[in-house]
Amino acid sequence: MAKDRGQSEDYSGPLKRLLLGVVLLCLLGLFLLWRIDSPRVERFRAQVVDRVVPSFDWAMAPVTGAVNIVRDFQSYQRMYQQNQDLRRELQQMKAWKEAALQLEQENARLLDLNNVQLDPRLTYVTGVVMADSGSPFRQSVLINVGSRDGIMDGWAAMDGLGLVGRISGVGRNTARVILLTDTSSRIPVTLQPSGQRALIIGDNSIAPLVDFIETPDQVRPGDRVLTSGDGGVFPAGLLVGQLAEDPGGRMRVRIAADYERLEFLRVLRSYATEEIETPGDLISPSSLPDAQPLDPAIAAEASNG
Amino acid sequence: MADAVLPRVWMMRALYLGLGGVLVFVHLLPLDMMPPGWAGPNIFLALTFAWAVRRPDYVPLLLVALVALGMDLLLQRPPGLWAAITVLGLETLRNRAASLRDLTFAAEWAAVSSTLVVMTLAYRFILTILMVDQAPLGLSLMQLVATLLAYPLVALLSHALFGVRKRAPGDLDTVTGRA
Repeated sequence: MAKDRGQSEDYSGPLKRLLLGVVLLCLLGLFLLWRIDSPRVERFRAQVVDRVVPSFDWAMAPVTGAVNIVRDFQSYQRMYQQNQDLRRELQQMKAWKEAALQLEQENARLLDLNNVQLDPRLTYVTGVVMADSGSPFRQSVLINVGSRDGIMDGWAAMDGLGLVGRISGVGRNTARVILLTDTSSRIPVTLQPSGQRALIIGDNSIAPLVDFIETPDQVRPGDRVLTSGDGGVFPAGLLVGQLAEDPGGRMRVRIAADYERLEFLRVLRSYATEEIETPGDLISPSSLPDAQPLDPAIAAEASNG
Repeated sequence: MADAVLPRVWMMRALYLGLGGVLVFVHLLPLDMMPPGWAGPNIFLALTFAWAVRRPDYVPLLLVALVALGMDLLLQRPPGLWAAITVLGLETLRNRAASLRDLTFAAEWAAVSSTLVVMTLAYRFILTILMVDQAPLGLSLMQLVATLLAYPLVALLSHALFGVRKRAPGDLDTVTGRA
């Protein structure tokens, strides 16, 4: 055995070491390239995901369905208690419905008085969640609409109620939504009714941190959190959630979107951010008065004389 | 005899690739969108190391590098770094596999543990130097401990289900395979 091992190392040892070196060089090179020029490598990643994940889809849907059935089945065991809870909730909802109807009528009256036109460009594309990020350290989901459907980086994704996240990484058939809870998520928001500006910072917990509040004295738990549209990141006024205070005394936002059941996401088309592609021109009249071309004959005479 | 041996090695490599695919698939299932308060074990790493210590020829370098890079890309990690560290850890263990062959499982577990700890620390260290956003330290440590705890189970399963065993002097495929 020992002799055998020695022999095999004799001729394959250096070769293997060379291979190891080359492989390490490639991998670390890719990592450095990613660190230096992230968008390009991320686009490559989006293409890989776009190619690989849809091919899993045929198996993913049934498996996910089966697991959900098992979970639902477990919840049957608590049926009676759930029924009671639902009845109680329904009772509360009726009260809310009444309030909502009154508000809707009032809103319609006010809109009528103001003659307001709602922005017709705020339309949306709906996508189905295909996969999640697959790691406990990253909070993102993959949806089944992509550049084919006109999705662009930076658009907002919502469920029916509130903001869910931001498109980051678009493949042909898929797009990745970075959730508000991801550690790399930063969203500018307004806190109503005080109108304070702040930033929502994801920290891998279900309630992201609210930081950089201008005057923290003016906000209190229960305030509504809406996107502010600062920096052209999102359209203004999308509901994010409610402010809450954690035991440590820091402000956090209780997200309105139902993160436990993300199934369909709306991606809002927002063309609000205009891109400036050319450097500015000099401001000058389009035609100058003395700019007629010289007659070639006159020019020749002038040079002779 | 060589005909019977060659397919066995390639079959195990294909199996390894398949297991990697299954692990990615399970990770990507959209079951739970809540940020977890805990992190499960990195089964892929445990599997790779368990096989590397027992049968280094089942986990060739290039294959592991490709699978690990694919996982980096699909699971939203910084591409390349973790794959490179995995390959380094793999080669470290491969070099020690010959000496680990005659020792007990506890010694093997200790060797794998020390490698994993160094890998995790190096990974976080490099990410910190390059100022990349990274996961909370607690989650990383939790994953490390979970992987260490899962390692004996993975080793046992590979031994029982897939027949990945340490080479014994009388094995057919070790003696005649080289002939």
